[in-house]
Amino acid sequence: MDNRILTHASVLYLPHSDYIDGGMAHKPRKIRGYFPLSVATGIIVLIVLAIVAPQAPWLIWVALAVLATCAFAMNRDIERAKRDAKPAPVATEPVRVQPEGPSFQEVLRAIPDPVMIVSGVEPNDIAGRWIIFANTAAREEFHITGENGLLVSSLRNPEVLEAVDEALFGGIRRDTVFETSGAQDKFWRAWTSPLPVREGARRLSLLVLRDETDIRRIERMRADFLANASHELRTPLASLTGFIETLRGHAKDDIKARDKFLNIMAAQADRMGRLIHDLLSLSRIEMNEHVPPSGEADLSLAARDVMDSLSILAQEKGVSLTFTGPAPGSHPLIADRDQILQVVQNLSDNALKYAPRGSQIELEILTDRTLEQAIAARDPSASKLVLLRPDRRDDFYTVIRVKDHGPGIRREFLPRLAERFYRVEGQKSGDKLGTGLGLAIVKHIINRHRGGLVVESVALPSTTDKDLLAYDLPDTVTIPSDNLITYTAFSAYFPQPRRPKA
Amino acid sequence: MNTHIVKTYGEELDQLSAEVVLMGGLAEAQVADAVEAVARRDVALAQSVVVRDQKLDELEKDIERKCIRLIALRQPMAADLRKTVAAMKIATSLERTGDLAKNIAKRSMVIAEAEPMSPLTRSIERMGKLVSSRLRDVLDAYKSGKLDMAMAVWSSDTEVDEHYNALFRELLTYMMGDPRTISACTHILFMAKNLERIGDHATNMAEHIHYEITGEDYVEDRPKSSTF
Repeated sequence: MDNRILTHASVLYLPHSDYIDGGMAHKPRKIRGYFPLSVATGIIVLIVLAIVAPQAPWLIWVALAVLATCAFAMNRDIERAKRDAKPAPVATEPVRVQPEGPSFQEVLRAIPDPVMIVSGVEPNDIAGRWIIFANTAAREEFHITGENGLLVSSLRNPEVLEAVDEALFGGIRRDTVFETSGAQDKFWRAWTSPLPVREGARRLSLLVLRDETDIRRIERMRADFLANASHELRTPLASLTGFIETLRGHAKDDIKARDKFLNIMAAQADRMGRLIHDLLSLSRIEMNEHVPPSGEADLSLAARDVMDSLSILAQEKGVSLTFTGPAPGSHPLIADRDQILQVVQNLSDNALKYAPRGSQIELEILTDRTLEQAIAARDPSASKLVLLRPDRRDDFYTVIRVKDHGPGIRREFLPRLAERFYRVEGQKSGDKLGTGLGLAIVKHIINRHRGGLVVESVALPSTTDKDLLAYDLPDTVTIPSDNLITYTAFSAYFPQPRRPKA
Repeated sequence: MNTHIVKTYGEELDQLSAEVVLMGGLAEAQVADAVEAVARRDVALAQSVVVRDQKLDELEKDIERKCIRLIALRQPMAADLRKTVAAMKIATSLERTGDLAKNIAKRSMVIAEAEPMSPLTRSIERMGKLVSSRLRDVLDAYKSGKLDMAMAVWSSDTEVDEHYNALFRELLTYMMGDPRTISACTHILFMAKNLERIGDHATNMAEHIHYEITGEDYVEDRPKSSTF
């Protein structure tokens, strides 16, 4: 109670300009709330004074007069501030496109590109830019809630804010390009243009945004594809040319060598084919990465399909595949069926590549996990790294975990795993060389589905590095190697559309 | 948003956090631009980052002044006081972030003169992206007052450390392989260290947000893998 009066008192003696500053009230109605209260409190105090100390009644009258002047001045300032702060005068009868048609505001709301109207009073008050209108697209894209919000809390890119200021106070039209990053990068072009204001200190500006992610992605994809293709195809091509030279030259009549060379050439051509296939599918996936998937897919079904297709290959290698998880059809996901299949396929392919003869590959599906549970490490002694995490959190996730008992991957190699063409040093992937794109494809697909990817691994501690480098990573797990079970496990998790049954 | 009877007081507080968010946006852009300058060997962009750093310094001073004025004139209590103090602390962290970004930009100008070392600058780019996302998340958490979001940033700092360690090894191999790359590699190493420091500032900011919202210090031990 005391505190409140004190604050009122301090307000009364602040210079007037303060009200105008604060007059950018986004809810000016509330100002009225305390005004009669402060005056009433003052009068009560004075009346009490008049009763208690009647010796100098003129003093009370003087004080009353001062109070009245103050109240009058304050009222005037508040009225002025309110006039300035009031949202753009909304005509009681909105202007309509046709007498029976929609109002212009409704038309603006229906525009698919985000449109905002921004107001500002003082150039120096850099944070004081308010969104006084935002259409539906803008509200969705930039998370605007409520009526009048601060511009900076929805959009904080300095270049756009600068452009808005230029439109507000310099009357300059401009367009700027900016990027909002997240799990999915988005490119925007923002147009700013001043709007005419009839009276008052408030200035208005129009801010129109357009999503240019598609165009930029196509550009980038083309550049990336060319760079990757030309770089990665060079090695197999060089080896092909080399063998052709040899076959033309001194190996011409050597039947044994010819057969051998032709085999190698076939393998190289095969690798080139796979590389092009993977590069193309990676490009395709990247193109659609910002488009959320539609359709339904089932992880259990995908796992079963993959296990069927891999069974012959696994038998040849003497590796057994096991599956634990719910029955197919019980936990459908909102997902692209083919892409989900590819995730499971690539992860299982990888596992099969590194699994030693006679070992087991475990596929496991876990449902109704929270984000924390999905990410959490299963085995505290393993090195774990989150390769991808969603920037939005859903309530529940379905996790697929593919575990092989291969040599494992040492901790220091984990961060770069999902990078394209990255190969872990000294790791042999068997006779059939991969393209180095499998995990990159997996990562992009999962990102499109707003899921995440975690890798856990236990590997033999390094021996060569200690001689090579003068330090030892303190985190490297050093367990006697004779009873160390090495493994690598990838867990991909996808948002689950359904809540679990309580 | 706030329930102060004296509206200007509440507005001053809102204004304060809006200015911190604004400053955050600027710091974010500085980090992103500095990293891009490294990746694209863009000297002009690096220079603009160096010049723009002054704006961050000014904003920090401005926020500090406003906080002190607010404390002096309004004597904020409880949540308001925490909000004020957190704004001041976050502004300081953001200013430091800006300094580190400036340093990255300066170093990028030096390595732009040397031979391109794309695998290494790509690593910097990747790390920069990770750190930027951390910064973005923490600012989003501040803006919307979401405690769980701030804590998610706080607990995932090991990823940045992990990247730093990986890059450190990579650099060592490079330098041992070809001593002519030592000077450029050293610059890249410092860049990586700066990025790692920016990640630390993001976790600090997450702690300030925790303090602002709950009024308690975050005492739990931060998951940390040691770096060099």
